Amino acid sequence: MAQTQLIILMTSAALIIIGFYSAIFVDNIIKKIIGISFIEEGVNLFIVAIGYKAGGIVPILMPDMNTTWFASNAAYPLPFGLVLTSIVIGASTLAVMLALVMVIYKKYGTLSTKVMLADTSKQEEYNE
Amino acid sequence: MKLYDQIFNVVKQFRKLFSPGPVTNADVSGSITAEIFLIVSLVLSAILLRHVNMLLAGIVTFILAIVLISNIPLIPKFKLEQEDSLEKMLFYAIITISILVAFLYWGGNLV
Amino acid sequence: MNELIPLMVIVPLMAALLISAFSRFNTVTKIFALVVAICLPIIPLASNYGLHYFGGYEPILDNVTNAVYHPAITYSFTFLQQVFIAMVGLLTFLVVFIYLTKYRKVSGPYLFLLFLGTAAVTAMLLTDDIFHMFVFFEILALAQVGIVAASSINYSYEMALKYMILGSIGSPMMLLGIGFLLAMTGTVNVTDIAAAVHNGLINVTSPVFLMSLALIFFGWLYASGLPPFHTIKSGIYSKAEPHGAALLQSFTVISMISIVLIMFRIYSTLPIFEVLIVFFSILAMILGVSMALTQTDFRRMIGFLAVGELGFIGLGIGLGTQFSITAGLFQALNEIMITALLFIGFGAIVNATNEVDTRKLGGLLAYHPKVSLMLLIGGLAMAGVPPLSGFQSKLMLVQASLSCGFPEISILAIMVSIATFVVFVKTYYSMFLKPKPNDLEVENKEVPRAMIFAMGILLIIIILLGIFPDIVINGISNFVGGIL
Repeated sequence: MAQTQLIILMTSAALIIIGFYSAIFVDNIIKKIIGISFIEEGVNLFIVAIGYKAGGIVPILMPDMNTTWFASNAAYPLPFGLVLTSIVIGASTLAVMLALVMVIYKKYGTLSTKVMLADTSKQEEYNE
Repeated sequence: MKLYDQIFNVVKQFRKLFSPGPVTNADVSGSITAEIFLIVSLVLSAILLRHVNMLLAGIVTFILAIVLISNIPLIPKFKLEQEDSLEKMLFYAIITISILVAFLYWGGNLV
Repeated sequence: MNELIPLMVIVPLMAALLISAFSRFNTVTKIFALVVAICLPIIPLASNYGLHYFGGYEPILDNVTNAVYHPAITYSFTFLQQVFIAMVGLLTFLVVFIYLTKYRKVSGPYLFLLFLGTAAVTAMLLTDDIFHMFVFFEILALAQVGIVAASSINYSYEMALKYMILGSIGSPMMLLGIGFLLAMTGTVNVTDIAAAVHNGLINVTSPVFLMSLALIFFGWLYASGLPPFHTIKSGIYSKAEPHGAALLQSFTVISMISIVLIMFRIYSTLPIFEVLIVFFSILAMILGVSMALTQTDFRRMIGFLAVGELGFIGLGIGLGTQFSITAGLFQALNEIMITALLFIGFGAIVNATNEVDTRKLGGLLAYHPKVSLMLLIGGLAMAGVPPLSGFQSKLMLVQASLSCGFPEISILAIMVSIATFVVFVKTYYSMFLKPKPNDLEVENKEVPRAMIFAMGILLIIIILLGIFPDIVINGISNFVGGIL
């Protein structure tokens, strides 16, 4: 059903918009990072939705299958491969971000973005 | 004399830019250069609009020149908007993507 | 031999993994890193031009529609890739050499990051597959963050985290754009997508195609540090170790040109694409140079200058003629070398004085005459003074914009060059020429020989390219003729 695809696309759009919202308006850095990773998940969901085929079969060619029938019925496998790679990258990015947050939290003792990631150029410029 | 006084006040306001620490000759002259460079280059790039419409380019250039010159010093304001805090950076990044997408979606075929 | 083409990526990648795994053995690691670093510029120079299909999947000819499909990830290696990969390889060698001679005990993870970044930009240049490019773009972002966070400068973690958070908005947007392209064409191979666009198989005026342009363009802005990302880009340059910053800016320039060339091949039929590039380039030039004029930290100042100079590259590509694109790419090559020279040279000063505020420096000409002379030539090259290489590329850009009918852009380019020169002279004066402040303690130690060596090699190339620009211009021009 094309309706399924439409619902998935709507969900991914909602995830991306929630991500943008939290990027601007949420102050807690952990929540902000969770929100931003929503953007990534939304995009992944979108790419999965591209490969959707109503009533399609798993794109693995078994020995007893007719090739022509397989080609017209299998789902498109390329987006799934891409999404798998993209999820791995997203996970590693998230890990690095949270590790940096841990280090910075030890320095400031707070998770507020306004304090942790404020403008630092003035403070260090002329320290005597 | 009014313009002279205005420019003199501009130089005084540059002190805030370098606030902790002294202000040297080279820094002030650099800031004045930046001020003039900013005005001239923005006005000059507004002339590029003549490839869209001659009249529009004339009006925009004229208004931009008046607005910029009457609002000196510009550099402290510009520097404040381009500071290192994450909030400002994220704000401008998201504004840019929104404008880019909206502009291309509705106006991408107009050019 | 076409077998060398994948090796350009595999050698630094494997070296990175091996070094980080066996970093306990200090001497072995040092020797191994040096050997790999020497190999990096040699491999592209020894390799032949050609294509490499991963997995050996040759292109398939569809007999019904007469279209060619590329099922494999394809690496294409031409003169442009050769000269840029050799240049980034040379720079990696110099940076690794400086790093190895600076510390007695080397850090495996740091060398891992340097080699990982080199492998990533090499793959981005070579690849003909837009998703493959995205993957290495993300790996590059991780390597850049690592290089920044590994430095011992104050607030480097904060800057790295800011870069990362902005990156996690920029990169998914680019991936979304790639997803739109995939949805329209069913492939991620750039040659196939470009063929589909130029043969009229997809509607270029449809909003989906335009949206994909907007989203990939936003990712490109993040990768190249054009506004609104110019503050964070100059910030990470100023928070990395000087030799790391020299490598970081080369990563930025190369990721910028490799993404924009892919975008150019797909979107060049849309007039708005060139308008967008020119708009953001002009914005980068104005904001970068005017911000550089007001800085007091000289590392930050060179960071903003480097961003401002990126505008010239964008300008050349945005004008869209063969001559202008050649000029833009030649400017990219020059900028890699000149900015690296400036970062390494000013890094030598930090090394000697532990001070980055230009207001507290002065009178260093008496202490470091060699470094100051080399820096002077580098600054003149950046401002575009003949007979150095920056002059040749900027002259070509001015001519190109004049012949396209945009005299305003020519005037703007010349003005930006002049302002660049002002920035450089102001900093040079306050660091080297004005009387030494009484409270400045200059440790009377030598500048590391490796830094002098690196600067010397870069200077030789800058002067050589300034006198004989045809060595690279002809080859780049042929390449550009191929993609137009």
